[in-house]
Amino acid sequence: MSATLTLGMRSLREALRQPDALFMTMFIPIFFLVVNTGQAAEVFPSDSTGFLEGQGYGAFQLPITLLLAASFGMGALFLVEEIEGGYFDKLRAMPIPRYSMVLGRLVAEAAKGVFLASLIVLLALPFGITIASGPLGFVLLVLLTTSWGVVYAGFMQLIALKTRSAAATNSGGLIFFPLLFLTPNFVPREMLAPPMEVAATINPVTYLMEALRSLILTDLDWAKILPGFAVVAVLGAIMLALNVRMIKGYD
Amino acid sequence: MQQRNGTAVRAEGLVKHYKDGDETVEAVRGVDLEVSAGEIFGFLGPNGAGKSTTVRMLTTLLTITDGRAEVLGTDVAAEPDAVRRRIGVALQEAGLDPRQTGRELLVLHGQLYGFDKARAAARAEELLALVGLEQAAGRVTKGYSGGMQRRLDLAAALVHEPEVLFLDEPTTGLDPASRLTVWDEVRRINGRGTTVFLTTQYLEEADQLCDRLAIIDDGRIVREGTPANLKAELSERRGGEDVSLDDVFLDATGRSRDRAAGEVQEVGA
Repeated sequence: MSATLTLGMRSLREALRQPDALFMTMFIPIFFLVVNTGQAAEVFPSDSTGFLEGQGYGAFQLPITLLLAASFGMGALFLVEEIEGGYFDKLRAMPIPRYSMVLGRLVAEAAKGVFLASLIVLLALPFGITIASGPLGFVLLVLLTTSWGVVYAGFMQLIALKTRSAAATNSGGLIFFPLLFLTPNFVPREMLAPPMEVAATINPVTYLMEALRSLILTDLDWAKILPGFAVVAVLGAIMLALNVRMIKGYD
Repeated sequence: MQQRNGTAVRAEGLVKHYKDGDETVEAVRGVDLEVSAGEIFGFLGPNGAGKSTTVRMLTTLLTITDGRAEVLGTDVAAEPDAVRRRIGVALQEAGLDPRQTGRELLVLHGQLYGFDKARAAARAEELLALVGLEQAAGRVTKGYSGGMQRRLDLAAALVHEPEVLFLDEPTTGLDPASRLTVWDEVRRINGRGTTVFLTTQYLEEADQLCDRLAIIDDGRIVREGTPANLKAELSERRGGEDVSLDDVFLDATGRSRDRAAGEVQEVGA
């Protein structure tokens, strides 16, 4: 475990030395929040739109912003750079557990996730967005967003290890966009047209988004929250197993 | 550091095959090697001959298709972590983390070898002094010159005082002054009892540094011995003619001087 933490601290230092990457991670999701809210807020006024639970449309859009921010991690690209530059082999030649080389970067992604999710929520508060589920809800919101960020970064890392190519790893990030838009991102699931509703129902990201949304709009609703955590747990277990398998067979 | 029979590295029938699409590439075709503890062993060959592949198998970085390799009596494939604890590796590209400072990198390596933070920091300072990088220690490695990167890479490979040091083309691309510095460093490390396994494409380097050497071509060892013996053997075959190590190389690999140009170089430091 100490090797994991040591490598995690290194990855965190690496992220702090690349502040422009953190800026882009924040900028694009906030841009989407502003644009989506600006376009649809008039269509869904808070006083007559039941699914907003009395909040503005920005609160409904906040989960997408959080998920996007969590999905813009640079860890996998740093890993490719390390593979191409030879440092990854230097680490592989050390007597450290192979899983540490996977988990070390994910520890850093978790720390970054906590920071980014907290910052985005705090930036949203002055615009009238509140976390209806209270302080515990805020913690769960940050935890769920961070967990998704870690899982997503893990899958990106898998692509990096498999392809050893920055271009392929970058393209891998685009996989998320169809998944994000096959969700009830503009209106609740029951208001979607039937084919979209089916697509959203089979898309695991939907449950994540609904969990985050319920934490923002309503009091703690475990029936909505737990499926979100279950999705992250299942995908996280798959991601870890695949990563460890990949790194053990890495030649 | 001496193993009971005095052998630091042993390879028997080492084979590596790669899949490249539908084709199987035979990169190493049955290498037998024995490196004695305490010596500087040179591993020469043209580009693509199998030098780096062999080193990567011996250092646990590549799986072995067939054959067996031992480092200090430990089977490389069966107990890779036990081997990793006792070897240091500096690969062809100076593998450094571009966003860490030289000092941070050495401390990190110390911690990954199990040192506590204070011991890792002390060891880092020792090594920075050893390779003459105290002044640059606080700068990120991305800004280091090629020679500085090589010296730091060498220092990183020495953090845990390895018994066997693998150096894969440690001077490729360096200017003559940096090359001399690395040579001095290799001699100094070896002088303290560390076995050095050195691949190089510079014949002068092998002649200057190595106690014994092997020449690999097309995945097979084609000559092995001390530089002096290899030259003497060729000279004898040529009726007492004066020969150099590059003549030995050309004879062993069946290359002409024209063909060898660019594959193996004769350079003076």
